[in-house]
Amino acid sequence: MRLCPANLDELRHALATANGRRVPVTGWDLHALGALLEHHPEDMTATAQAGMSLADFQHTLAQAGQWLPLDPPFPKAMTLGALIAGNHSGPRRWGFGTARDWLIGISVVLPDGRLVKSGGKVVKNVAGFDLCKVFVGSHGTLGIIVEATFKVLPLPKAQRILQHICATLEEAGALLERVVGSRLHLDILDLHRLPGSPPTLVMGFGGPQEDVDEQCQALSHLGICQPGDMEYDGLFHKWPHRKCAVMPSALMDTLARLEGCAFVARAGNGVIYHTQGPPAPPATAPSALQQRLKDAFDPHHTLPSL
Amino acid sequence: MNLASTLCVPLAPRLDTSGWVDSLRAIVGAESVLADPKELLAYECDGYTLQRHPPTAVVLPRTTAEVAAVVELCARLNLPIIPRGAGTSLCGGVLAVEGGVMIALTRMNRVLALDVRNRRALVEAGCVNAWVTREAAPHGLCYAPDPSSQPACTIGGNIATNSGGPHTLKYGVTTNHVLGLELVLPDGSVQWLGVTPDGGEDVEGYDLRGALIGSEGMFGVVTRALLRLIPTPTHWRTFLGVFDTVDEASHAVSDIIAAGIVPAALEMMDRLIVSALEEAYHFGFPLDAGAVLIIELDGLPAGLAAQAGVIEALCRGRGAREVRVARDEAERAALWKCRKRAFGAIGRLSPNYVTQDGVVPRSKLPQIMQFIQETSRRHDLRIPNVFHAGDGNIHPLILYDEREPGQVQRALAAGHDILTRCIELGGSVTGEHGIGVEKMDYMALQFTESDLDAMRTLRRVFDPDQRCNPHKMFPGSKRCSDFAVRKQAHA
Repeated sequence: MRLCPANLDELRHALATANGRRVPVTGWDLHALGALLEHHPEDMTATAQAGMSLADFQHTLAQAGQWLPLDPPFPKAMTLGALIAGNHSGPRRWGFGTARDWLIGISVVLPDGRLVKSGGKVVKNVAGFDLCKVFVGSHGTLGIIVEATFKVLPLPKAQRILQHICATLEEAGALLERVVGSRLHLDILDLHRLPGSPPTLVMGFGGPQEDVDEQCQALSHLGICQPGDMEYDGLFHKWPHRKCAVMPSALMDTLARLEGCAFVARAGNGVIYHTQGPPAPPATAPSALQQRLKDAFDPHHTLPSL
Repeated sequence: MNLASTLCVPLAPRLDTSGWVDSLRAIVGAESVLADPKELLAYECDGYTLQRHPPTAVVLPRTTAEVAAVVELCARLNLPIIPRGAGTSLCGGVLAVEGGVMIALTRMNRVLALDVRNRRALVEAGCVNAWVTREAAPHGLCYAPDPSSQPACTIGGNIATNSGGPHTLKYGVTTNHVLGLELVLPDGSVQWLGVTPDGGEDVEGYDLRGALIGSEGMFGVVTRALLRLIPTPTHWRTFLGVFDTVDEASHAVSDIIAAGIVPAALEMMDRLIVSALEEAYHFGFPLDAGAVLIIELDGLPAGLAAQAGVIEALCRGRGAREVRVARDEAERAALWKCRKRAFGAIGRLSPNYVTQDGVVPRSKLPQIMQFIQETSRRHDLRIPNVFHAGDGNIHPLILYDEREPGQVQRALAAGHDILTRCIELGGSVTGEHGIGVEKMDYMALQFTESDLDAMRTLRRVFDPDQRCNPHKMFPGSKRCSDFAVRKQAHA
């Protein structure tokens, strides 16, 4: 069944009931749990209910000159709960990591209806085991995230995105090595090839205006000066695609094996989103430890399986 | 008389060691097993000395296979295992509450591989934190988490407590910099969790590596770790802001954060600490200052110059009488050396001290500092402060003399008051030191029974018998004798 609770108590009750009756819960709509609960700009932290969209969260933060520096595609459609459950990120992953790196507190409804929290509202906190990490990237298989607290940052005073269109993947690879070996402070380091387009290296950075100007100059010495944007990311993610992750040094060899297919690669991180290509390796069975974790938190397998 | 010996009565008769110590010797060699009471004394506590209890035996393995064999033997004999690094932790996290087999990883201390292109280092768990950066530095890389104990503490210990340090304000704590690790589970099986040394960043399945980091050695024995390295900042500016009062300095911290500047580090030291440091290391600190801020910016040269002006103006706006800039790398290094040796200078002020590790929202710093001053007066104890102001992570050092009647109790009561206030202000009882045996009872103040249950559930996933580093973390865990913070405090 699919849950569409009007409030937190209703969610707890509905999930506990389904769990008690051994009815699988296949999905949930937390539309009604979408409020911003706290934002303390002077503490650089913010707490919201998990049903709030990332776009709305960013909009609220921006009014105080702050942001959560995560930029996955389609932020209007992505709830904070989904952001955490998928450990999502976007082009700025090179500079700012993924949801895992910004989450400092979480509240979750377990299958038996209990509300549990971990972490807190301060940026440094090692009291208790780190259940935040258990739920980040768990895809809703252990509990339903209902509230989250994030560290946030001041919005950069200035930002710039530059791109360089390459004739071949080899040229892109050579340029990428020069950029990685430089002392540039990049937030975005992407390489993409959309259908019918040449490989394009994208570099983005932000900070004080003086920093941005300095980096523009440094990149122009590498022959990179064409203005770019991040539209490729949303465009690409509308198509069915797969993901693979390799050592950053293995990126170009892996891309070469993808032959003609379209891709967006987090080139610094070695994470590739691609259309078709070699068949995905068969999904490996979860390890015994992974399965024990699932069974411990969701003993009746009420929630989706791992 | 040793205070701890009065507090700590062994609960159980000594574990019968007949036979199994020889079995340990057969695994790791006789020279790698300590079982003589005199030798075990060095392992009876960590930096938290109020409670002591020796393990029954200490093993010093050299390989993962040896660790696995020792753990497997302990599983068969149902013996507690206590993983230990350098023993620099500060809350009894490696106390052998009931004895048991302590597995000290200090001989597994190598940097195994440095992958410069992929910015990774593969190290053994007993590798000293500072050695990683020492090895990586010639390649323009460093390991970011920099706890003050970094010349001694081990990566395995850092993983156990999810260690921080001054520069984690900008760069994050241990969990943000450990990509993967090798774990010997309490049944003796060996697993790699997280990113493998030749694998990509995204790993399928649950983040078991993340779940393990900060678990205080209660999920198994970490034997190797894959660390993320970052480029060493090439340009920095380090300021010393001199204030008349802690209150002014606290407000300056809030103003810097509110101005949208995230320094690499933002540390505060009060008058007592500054004078002890000056006496010990002769840096040139002003002895009459109420508080000193160390503010470090790093980044690109142009932006640094612009931000430096803002920092200076904000400090002056809060009454700083002087804002000094470190002239060169040597002066900067000397400043950080002083800061990181602050705890070491406390011996000049007092025969004993206990440090706390509370956290408050950054904007509540002026309030908690005020409260600490009141607490100091109320309990008639000096409480110097040296801490990570930018993170709101305080380290009040409560000074006492165990030879003076009543002082231990007052020191414990003062710590209790401060930590309780941190929770009331929306914070936490520990930012980087951990819970250990010291702060078990506070867990019930900070978390609900359901929260704690979920943590116990997680623990049993890794350690169904709860045999690995037992009697820690959870309120009501069996403790050494009848020792309870609150009982002591109200005695």
